[in-house]
Amino acid sequence: MPLSLCSVFFVKWKVPHFLINKLTSLLVVLLIFRMAATAFHQAVGTLQPHGYVNHSDFHQEFGNVSMRLISNSIKVNFGQLRRGSYCSRERNICVIEASTSQTSVFDPVSSPSNNTTNDSRKKSSEAALILIRHGESLWNEKNLFTGCVDVPLTKKGVEEAIEAGRRIGNIPVDMIYTSALIRAQMTAMLAMTQHRRKKVPIVMHNESEQAKAWSKIFSEETKRQCIPVLTAWQLNERMYGELQGLNKQETADRYGKEQVHEWRRSYDIPPPNGESLKMCAERAVAYFKEQIEPQLLSGKNVMIAAHGNSLRSIIMYLDKLTSQEVISLELSTGIPMLYILKKESL
Amino acid sequence: MHYCPDESALILIRHGESMWNEKNLFTGMVDVPLTKKGIEEAIEAGKRISNIPVDIIYTSALIRAQMTAMLALTQLRCKKVPIIMHNESEQAEVWSQIYSEDTMKLSIPVVTAWQLNERMYGELQGLNKQEIAERYGKKQVHEWRRSYGVSPPNGESLEICSQRAVAYFREHIEPQLFSGKHVLVAAHANSLRSIIVYLDKLTSQEVTAIFLCKDYFQCKTFCWFITSYLPSCLIDQVISLELSNGIPMLYIYKEGKFIRRGSPVGSKEAGVYAYSRV
Repeated sequence: MPLSLCSVFFVKWKVPHFLINKLTSLLVVLLIFRMAATAFHQAVGTLQPHGYVNHSDFHQEFGNVSMRLISNSIKVNFGQLRRGSYCSRERNICVIEASTSQTSVFDPVSSPSNNTTNDSRKKSSEAALILIRHGESLWNEKNLFTGCVDVPLTKKGVEEAIEAGRRIGNIPVDMIYTSALIRAQMTAMLAMTQHRRKKVPIVMHNESEQAKAWSKIFSEETKRQCIPVLTAWQLNERMYGELQGLNKQETADRYGKEQVHEWRRSYDIPPPNGESLKMCAERAVAYFKEQIEPQLLSGKNVMIAAHGNSLRSIIMYLDKLTSQEVISLELSTGIPMLYILKKESL
Repeated sequence: MHYCPDESALILIRHGESMWNEKNLFTGMVDVPLTKKGIEEAIEAGKRISNIPVDIIYTSALIRAQMTAMLALTQLRCKKVPIIMHNESEQAEVWSQIYSEDTMKLSIPVVTAWQLNERMYGELQGLNKQEIAERYGKKQVHEWRRSYGVSPPNGESLEICSQRAVAYFREHIEPQLFSGKHVLVAAHANSLRSIIVYLDKLTSQEVTAIFLCKDYFQCKTFCWFITSYLPSCLIDQVISLELSNGIPMLYIYKEGKFIRRGSPVGSKEAGVYAYSRV
């Protein structure tokens, strides 16, 4: 696979200022960036023929099984690894900014030199996790607190979703998780219209026995071409309680500016009858650990289309962020984020 | 926009092309999303109805109909916002509550109902025409597709589908129209046809003929077929029952009657649609 892969992805590196701890850390960061950039090119270069990412420079193992969650090769945070000599509390949001969808991060199917051994090795050892925050909704446009009110996308939000789909067009997807809200579901379905693999997302219906029986598929061949889509309220946006439907002015008038500021900026103070970010994180991460992680560990490539706060919560878990760090974490709408889960046994 | 206070609009939109339409697979109640083309069809439908007032929306429980509605409504000129209602649990209901009166006034409730789903095709779901012919034989398949009362294995007949769709329409949607609300229904070929059959008060013979003809639309032999086999009084009915993907069908409810107004052509042209002024 040509080295033009290297030029396709360039990764945005965000390091928040308050985490840069004196000059040493800064130098370490720069050094890692340079090393990582090289490793990235090499890694991307090696992805095609061998079908796996090799990051021995950043690799640490402990115990019998080490699980690493690495975002697109510049990752310095590891899910459960001991901290290294670098500043591992830095947050790395690796953003896919592919200018075309001609090439892929890993594409064992299309790689000519791939063989079944590599493919099965890849399947058991590596999985992609794509996170997409939905695009602009009709209440974002009006500057209203949305929360769990089920508001659809604007034209712009639709375009953002389609653009997100182009960026992930070549990344294999085996399962899709969305929230129970239409703006996330639409984002996922719109994005998948751009997918090159031609598998068809099918929304699973388990809300009743009837729904389950009635949505059954009776062809094995067709089932193989399906990507199950699971909807879960646990991936919903943070529930904003009595702020839902109010605009900033109304909210300031009703509660006072200081109070509103506190609700928005704190980790564990909920608005009236609403959720704090902490509460949102608890149910989102619990769902992730219970339902999504096992899929990744079994080698399934997963896409999650959800919301600012539920995704921040998951990233907080993946990157081991503190509550201060997660509050200041801003996720772009419609820009997919990629994590690569690599599981190794010793 | 001028309209009579004692008239209410009913817009029917069949969803655009789905990913299994494209692959020629029996879809039924399998929840398959739209293709790029389906998305464009939905947006185009939205342009045609962008000036028509909408007070409440009903969709099926399937994403292709919901997306069709939401995409169409991105084109809405008035500044109202569709909001999907969540009644599946206490928590869902409480969590989706809106706390501003002004915001609520600018909301269009969206109600999802499985009764508006596509006909459930049972064991044919996921199979393509070739597979089905091989598995069941051509004659049997012909019967399932052409008859009104025969169900595929573990599936619904057209009749059963009609019954549950029309029952839902009468119980939930009609009262809205009676009270003067303008309604949009985004659903599927069979559920919408069932509603149209009810609205147009067609006889069961006409119904059979109409569903029979469903597959012959836009076929070269169609004209020959209808002129040869159907009485002339039915031809108009049949032709007008064609529900193309993404083309909205407008009815006006007035003085206890449903009047079909055809397909709105959008805001730029003087179209078939026009509200009458008293």
